[in-house]
Amino acid sequence: MVAMIQKRGLRDFDWLLAFLAIGIVGFGTLQIRNAQPTENYWVKQLIGLGIAIVAMLLVALNDYRKLINIAPAFYLFGLVLLVIVLIPGIGLRINGQRAWIKVPGIGQFQPSEFVKVTTAMMLARYFGKHRDGVLTLKEMAIGGLILALPIFLILLEHDVGSVLTYLPILAIVLFLSAIRMRYVVGAVVLGVLLLPAAYWVGVKTHLVKNYQQERINVILDPENADRRGFGYNTWQSILTVGEGGLLGADTSAAHSQSSLKFLPEPHTDFIFAVTAGNAGFVGCILVLLAYVILLSRLIAGAKRAPDRMGMLVIMAIVGGLTCQIFINIGMELGLLPVIGVPLPLMSAGLASLIATFIAIGFAISVQLRRFVN
Amino acid sequence: MKFEDTSQNLRSRLWIVQSLILLMLALLGVRLYYLQLVRGQYYAEIAQNQRIRLLPIPAPRGDILANDGKTALANSSPIYNVILSREDLRDRKLISLAKPLAEALAVDGDILLDRFEQIGSQPAFESILVKQDASPGDIAWVEAHELEFPELRVEQQPQRRYPANGMLAHVLGYVGEISPEQLKQPNYKGLKPGDVIGLSGLEQTYDDYLRGKDGYRKVIVDSRGRIQDEIETIAPQPGQDLVTTIDLDLQNVAEEQLRTSVTQRGVIAVMNPNNGEVLALASAPTFDPNLFSRIGTKEGRAEYVAVLNDPQKPLINRAVQSRYPPGSTWKIPMAVAGLEQGAITLDDSNLVCGGGIMVGNKFTRCMGNHGTPDLKTAITKSCDGYFYRLGLKMGLDGIMTMIDEFDLNKRTGIDLPNEVLNMTPSRELKKRTQGENAEWKDIDTVYASFGQVYDVITPIALLRTIAAVANGGKLYVPHLLKELKPVGEAGAPDYRPGRSFQPLDSTRPNPKVLPIPEDMHHLVVEGMWGVVNNGGTGAAIRMAGFDIAGKTGTAQVVGLGKDVGKNKDHSWFVSYAPAYQPEIALVALIENSGFGGQHAAPAVRRVYDVYYRKTRNAEPPGALPVAKTPKPENKIPVKKPETQIAKNQ
Repeated sequence: MVAMIQKRGLRDFDWLLAFLAIGIVGFGTLQIRNAQPTENYWVKQLIGLGIAIVAMLLVALNDYRKLINIAPAFYLFGLVLLVIVLIPGIGLRINGQRAWIKVPGIGQFQPSEFVKVTTAMMLARYFGKHRDGVLTLKEMAIGGLILALPIFLILLEHDVGSVLTYLPILAIVLFLSAIRMRYVVGAVVLGVLLLPAAYWVGVKTHLVKNYQQERINVILDPENADRRGFGYNTWQSILTVGEGGLLGADTSAAHSQSSLKFLPEPHTDFIFAVTAGNAGFVGCILVLLAYVILLSRLIAGAKRAPDRMGMLVIMAIVGGLTCQIFINIGMELGLLPVIGVPLPLMSAGLASLIATFIAIGFAISVQLRRFVN
Repeated sequence: MKFEDTSQNLRSRLWIVQSLILLMLALLGVRLYYLQLVRGQYYAEIAQNQRIRLLPIPAPRGDILANDGKTALANSSPIYNVILSREDLRDRKLISLAKPLAEALAVDGDILLDRFEQIGSQPAFESILVKQDASPGDIAWVEAHELEFPELRVEQQPQRRYPANGMLAHVLGYVGEISPEQLKQPNYKGLKPGDVIGLSGLEQTYDDYLRGKDGYRKVIVDSRGRIQDEIETIAPQPGQDLVTTIDLDLQNVAEEQLRTSVTQRGVIAVMNPNNGEVLALASAPTFDPNLFSRIGTKEGRAEYVAVLNDPQKPLINRAVQSRYPPGSTWKIPMAVAGLEQGAITLDDSNLVCGGGIMVGNKFTRCMGNHGTPDLKTAITKSCDGYFYRLGLKMGLDGIMTMIDEFDLNKRTGIDLPNEVLNMTPSRELKKRTQGENAEWKDIDTVYASFGQVYDVITPIALLRTIAAVANGGKLYVPHLLKELKPVGEAGAPDYRPGRSFQPLDSTRPNPKVLPIPEDMHHLVVEGMWGVVNNGGTGAAIRMAGFDIAGKTGTAQVVGLGKDVGKNKDHSWFVSYAPAYQPEIALVALIENSGFGGQHAAPAVRRVYDVYYRKTRNAEPPGALPVAKTPKPENKIPVKKPETQIAKNQ
């Protein structure tokens, strides 16, 4: 059977998906180098890419059903990592968040990125059974619980941004697991109505703190918000993006927004702004197109999945990736408040890179086994 | 779908998800289009501006020079200042920096706080001076604390320097930072808070010319304001050098005479009667104009407050900002006007002295009893009784005509700021000072005719009058500007052409010509000549061969001659020389020193001595016994002196 898969592998292996991902990382590495020419982040990223490709192959060449069947073990392992990160001495505190584990030789590692994959696997396992009717409340509650455990631990790290990228994983799994349409519509309508109302009540009752209001104001009107304080990051990001124009800024590399340190965290959270500044509108649209093709390819794979479990694990991953891409780029374009969420495949960071490639490995694995039943 | 799909429309749900994803990414694309293509130009400009910093290179002011065109009276030398730049302040509170900076740089914390509050509240402020004239230690401290205080910078700046002994302080004036009120004025357009402007004296009058145009360094800074690269440097253009009409030798002796006078208060001003150039202008007590550059320190501020509150008022330029009754010096224009108006004639100028005059029931006395003197004798002996009667013959209207003809109801137009207007007699003046029902009476005319009560004028106005009498009726506008030197290449866009003096009020004729018939002129001059040379009230200063014509005066402070203590009368002496070919005119006033001839005249003699040595290359002759009055036609011809003054005619 292994031989058969390997022979078939050459034909059915999703080369486009793999190379698209590697291509985006390569382009991203170039931008990391642009952002921090004097640091070796880009070298680390290339090393990370090597590790990530190995991890992807390992996952792709194994049967995803076997992996998902032991998902509870991965899930538990992930929870343990999230607990470990909270232990002072092991967990690194950066910008008030204790979200990193120090790994000798490579640097730091963010478990919450990795746990996203194990959580998606766990959800896929639970909801992946053959299904006849609509979702029961009990099923929804258990799904919520699977998500709630890691979210609770991540909140203890004060890493709100990561939490936001977890929610769509459950949402998409529930949606595709035949949740009643009226719940979906109800949730959307309620959200649209309640969110501004809750914000208004929060402001009036001072439950929403001043600095939180400031952050909202920055998004509503970055131009006139506190450009030197709360609005600084957003404003500098907008300037960097805007300066890129059609084909990239004509400013010399030594005088760029990132070189002169106007743009904060240019190699991680604000890598897309760096890209926009260097490659302009054309480059940005090409990057967005690459993401669209990547995501479409994954969805196509999900549609051809031999079972519900395979379909769900791919779509959970798609939900997580899309949400991260949208939050990160939205933040860099001044559409969303500044939240520390990396841009998948482009931001410098080992955990995010490996997690994304493992996710892609799953998708490839599902595709490789679409004719086996 | 490979597997059995019995749940609710999985295929369409996947389609919904996919559409949603495309929609989200499309939204990002639209936003990119807006930011990069629609607004790209705008953001690029802002991004460029935040990394480009224009660091001003302050331009030195033009030097102020003596009339030799070489000796500097005020110049600028570079010092280092520690300044705080607004752009690099980011969200730090200005006020919170006052204390640590005051401690580290040894400046007064309260003063610094004041500056921060005053300048920091102005929207246009770019930088604030933290410490002036920083020591190498201060500079090292700023450089060592670049990370902690990135908003600090050391800047080279020209510092104005004046003679430390206060010489010419009232003429030169001083500079200081522009005030918020001045910033709003149209003539200071283009200046920013912290810029240095002339605040007094010539520095103020000719500020536009003396002020240079700042240059700048265009540099690239990082987000903390640290300079990374320099793109271009535009050198500053210095201001125009100003050559004054001041003759340093005369100025020095004039100031020395005031310094060594009884009360050490007064005015000596010297003018070329042939063109209005002021050769010396001394006002005592004086002050050190350098004090205003020390005002940022505790000691400097205390010094400033002391000068400001000094009851002797050293900041006042007494020559143009103080008024005094002219006393008997008033008799000179009275004499000219009396002849011109026909109150007396050349053939019959005799009037009764009578030891005084009885008007109504009030007797106003003369200092002596001169019989029935002619005009010449009345001037020489300073006969009050004569001029009471002359005044009554001319009447108030005649006196007012005289005042108008000699421009005494106007400012002289000297090129110094804040000149005060004389007070001169009129019916309105009496009503204004003594009530609506106070009618002008003959006794008032008597007062107005001998330079007291209703006549209160500036020394510079009196000097101008005497100079006009000296030259036969030409009233020049007194001025201190000889020349502003050009700066830059002729034809270049930043070329600033040179210029000579023009009255600030361009509608005023310069000179204003007062037609005094020559014979009348000679008669008055004979009287003035006699004051010094024919046993008159100024006989003590006579110089043989150098005919000084003059007139003593006593300005009543409380009541003429009544107080002999602190409020003694002011002593005047106005003069010019040589009597029939004037080269130099002079006014001297020693405050509260008593009778005119006694103190003011000897001080004047020292000035003439210096002038004589300078122009005749010989020792001045001492006082000689009274000689016979020379007639103008047979006067001793004086060799035309080869002096700078002569060349300037």
